[in-house]
Amino acid sequence: MMKIIKIFNICFLFVGLFFLTGCSSTATVQIDTKFPSVLAKPEVLSVAVIFDEEFMNYVGTPNEKTSISLGNAQVELLKNAFSGLFTTTQFASSTDNIDSNAVMIITPSVQQMQISTPSENYLNVFEVWIKYNLKIETADGQLIANWFMPAYGKTPDAFMTSKERAIEQATITALRDAGAKLLLDFRRIPDLNQWITAQQKRSDL
Amino acid sequence: MKAHTLLCQLFCLAPLLVGCAATTTIDEYRPTDQPILINKSEKVVVLGRRDAGHYETDREFISCVTNKISSASINVVLEQTFIDSIYPWFEPRTAPKGLPRLKRLMQNPAVRDKVDELSIRYLVWLDGSTETLSKGGSMSCAIGPGGGGCFGFAQWDKLSTYEATVWDLTDLIEKGRLRVDSEGTSYLIGAVAPIPLLTPVKSDACSSLGNQLKTFFVVKP
Repeated sequence: MMKIIKIFNICFLFVGLFFLTGCSSTATVQIDTKFPSVLAKPEVLSVAVIFDEEFMNYVGTPNEKTSISLGNAQVELLKNAFSGLFTTTQFASSTDNIDSNAVMIITPSVQQMQISTPSENYLNVFEVWIKYNLKIETADGQLIANWFMPAYGKTPDAFMTSKERAIEQATITALRDAGAKLLLDFRRIPDLNQWITAQQKRSDL
Repeated sequence: MKAHTLLCQLFCLAPLLVGCAATTTIDEYRPTDQPILINKSEKVVVLGRRDAGHYETDREFISCVTNKISSASINVVLEQTFIDSIYPWFEPRTAPKGLPRLKRLMQNPAVRDKVDELSIRYLVWLDGSTETLSKGGSMSCAIGPGGGGCFGFAQWDKLSTYEATVWDLTDLIEKGRLRVDSEGTSYLIGAVAPIPLLTPVKSDACSSLGNQLKTFFVVKP
């Protein structure tokens, strides 16, 4: 009889531990999703985009309990977005690997990543912010613009089964927002607009 | 004797079950009383508004309304299919909030061609959410080696408010508006096992909105 009680108590302890593990608030999120190609009229321009090792393997740690691996996803998103933005786009891991046709070199990097959960914002939404920096240079290395591009995504927690799933969905929304912002605002950066207009005029002559 | 007990139990439960019904109100606005004619080749897309700061029109509700409309032999394009096909023009940041912005967007040949290619004639915007208004009562649960159980009583009121706006993507005009408010109280009774008596507020809002939207459209033979 004692033995049965002992076994029962051990089982009870394991069940308790299982529940306590479930309450742990650490989240490791891997973003593996496909992004749609963009619907836009591309600029007649030959551009090289540099995705360095750090960008391709980027893991965001917005706080000590959350890590979001979005390297692959952001590379795929930006490949789609830049391909829709320019007529000729080449992608390389460094400036040594690009051919001489490129007139503009764009190097994206992640400056900052932040998240906000319902326990922090007192709303039923998970929010993700990603702050990108696009370093835009001419082929001979002269800086045209340093564009800080924030992207935002949110998702309600009501229908999400876990914190990880909700953060993943909010990050996907933020990445899609980055693609949308890139496409819509690229020509709105005055220095860039001026440079592209001058470049296109030169090509027409 | 047994039948007597069963009857008593039924009578006791009846008021509680009646209390679980939702009250739903629908307001409708249409410029004419004529139905919206739609060809068999034309399609409808139902989209959720996601630009508000504190809520999002949830996908579950949109797919529920989509199913209601498609059950009336109306061809419906799925929300995600449409948003992906037309990316990035219907993202939360870029989606047109009003007709002037839609008119400007449809002047973009790439967008116009894609809408034509998908044969989408009407766009239905859904905007709203389901919120818990007030909570009352208390319930406590305990578990130990000898067993466990819940004791107490809890109740909460929920309100679903959704608005549907129908846009004609060919004539670029608004064809009508619908607003549904559904309110109800749910209960949780703790008598060893917790017994939930839930009021399907959102489901009622979806059924009412979906069925009313169906009457907007008439499929041309």
